[in-house]
Amino acid sequence: MSSKAYALYKKDLNSELRTRYAVNSLVMFIIVAISVILFSIGNEKITQSLTSGLFWVVIFFSAMSGLSRAFVAEEERGTSLTLHLIASPSTVFSGKLIFNLILVFCMNTIVAVLFSILFEAFIIRNFALFAVAFVFGNIGLAVASTIIAAIISKAGAKGTLYPVLSFPILLPLILTCVQLTLLSNQGADFEAAKFELAIVFCYDVIMLTGSYMLFDFVWKD
Amino acid sequence: MQGLYQLLDKNAIYIVMIIVLIVWAGIFLYLYNLDKRIRTVEKEMNGDKNAK
Amino acid sequence: MVWKIFLFVLLAFVSIAGIAFPIVPVPHAWYEFPLIPGLKENAKIIFFHVPTAWLSAVAFMMNTIYSIKYLRKKNLDDDAKSYAAAQLGIIFCVLATVTGAVWAKFAWGSFWSWDPRQTSIFALLLIYGAWFALRSSIESEEKRATLSSVYAIIAFLTVPFFVFIMPRIMSGLHPGSADDTNAGPVINFKMNGNMQLIFFLSLIGFTILYFWMWSIGYRSLILKDKINKQSIKE
Repeated sequence: MSSKAYALYKKDLNSELRTRYAVNSLVMFIIVAISVILFSIGNEKITQSLTSGLFWVVIFFSAMSGLSRAFVAEEERGTSLTLHLIASPSTVFSGKLIFNLILVFCMNTIVAVLFSILFEAFIIRNFALFAVAFVFGNIGLAVASTIIAAIISKAGAKGTLYPVLSFPILLPLILTCVQLTLLSNQGADFEAAKFELAIVFCYDVIMLTGSYMLFDFVWKD
Repeated sequence: MQGLYQLLDKNAIYIVMIIVLIVWAGIFLYLYNLDKRIRTVEKEMNGDKNAK
Repeated sequence: MVWKIFLFVLLAFVSIAGIAFPIVPVPHAWYEFPLIPGLKENAKIIFFHVPTAWLSAVAFMMNTIYSIKYLRKKNLDDDAKSYAAAQLGIIFCVLATVTGAVWAKFAWGSFWSWDPRQTSIFALLLIYGAWFALRSSIESEEKRATLSSVYAIIAFLTVPFFVFIMPRIMSGLHPGSADDTNAGPVINFKMNGNMQLIFFLSLIGFTILYFWMWSIGYRSLILKDKINKQSIKE
């Protein structure tokens, strides 16, 4: 199963590398979003809590612009029927999930680097805490947006519905991650952030099991 | 009767209470009728279909 | 029939008690409520506002239960039941939000202050909105039922966070928040015995009312389905 999932991921990666649609639009989206924020800030000094909030706002909206590709592209090309024949639902989901995970990690690393260069208030004082929160936050973001993308691709309504459906699902994750980013910027230690870390971890586990159980119903219709 | 009127005149909250009760009675009667109407339609659908 | 009369009497009693029972500094008689400093008469909102918020959560649970049932049995009647539950849920959710906001203007000074519980009810409202948006975008009946069931279950996985965890760990204005010195279950909050009794009676009454409205709702939806199918056959 895992080798098949890997093959699916390779296939997605290859078609992505050929067109670079998702990567290009994501990078441009991040640049546009950050420059709009910088313009509107001007010479104002903004607080740390506002910066960590903006950090996740940029991540949320860029995820919404790029992550639905994985499933919507299959429906557009009409290849989802072939996928039905050659692979089990959980394999398909694993393949798409790996692809989205890699995409989310690349994207968020870019956002984090840009934020620490461009925003004075965004200084990571506790790097280990930030890294842990970042990894768990990204996993949660990728899992939730992959299953919602599957729903969207079957619903036939592509663009606008995706952020509408994802936002309430991602809200607990984003709120906690904003809190964690703020804590790591203030240089708090793990002891102070353990409750938030536990929430993010639980969210990941619940979402992962939930989406693997429910993906069968979305995929077979 | 005079005493009741004076009581209501002094304590406006009882008027509010009576109004809320009337509103609740109205909603209740509406729901009750709706329930009855749906039940008759259900019977019509499930029972003899040629009765119409 | 009996339970309908019971429901009528129960909610009538709750409205009489909730509106007209006096608030006194030291309650003696069974019909007197204790004075809560800073809230005074405002405290009576608990008999009418909390049940609406409670019902929007109950409706969400019913929606999820019937979504799971639909995914197991693929019976479109279950989809009608979950739809009727969500319809009532969004109504009570809006009622809870609006009553809470109006009350907050006079008790806390502003309509909206992003108190954790306000955030939760807002998230619940967003979930309901997204659910209806998803349903309206799909034409085919079976597909609509399946996809909206899946979404309802996924959304239900995140709700415990909003309803149970967040209001307890973040500081806020509602009773039971982290910085509340009387922390603990909301119900114990400075209420005396008969206030709690009427509060629970109100919860029970509103819950019965909900289930009644819900049964009317889903029965009418199932009837509509049946009539549609018959007219297609003929």
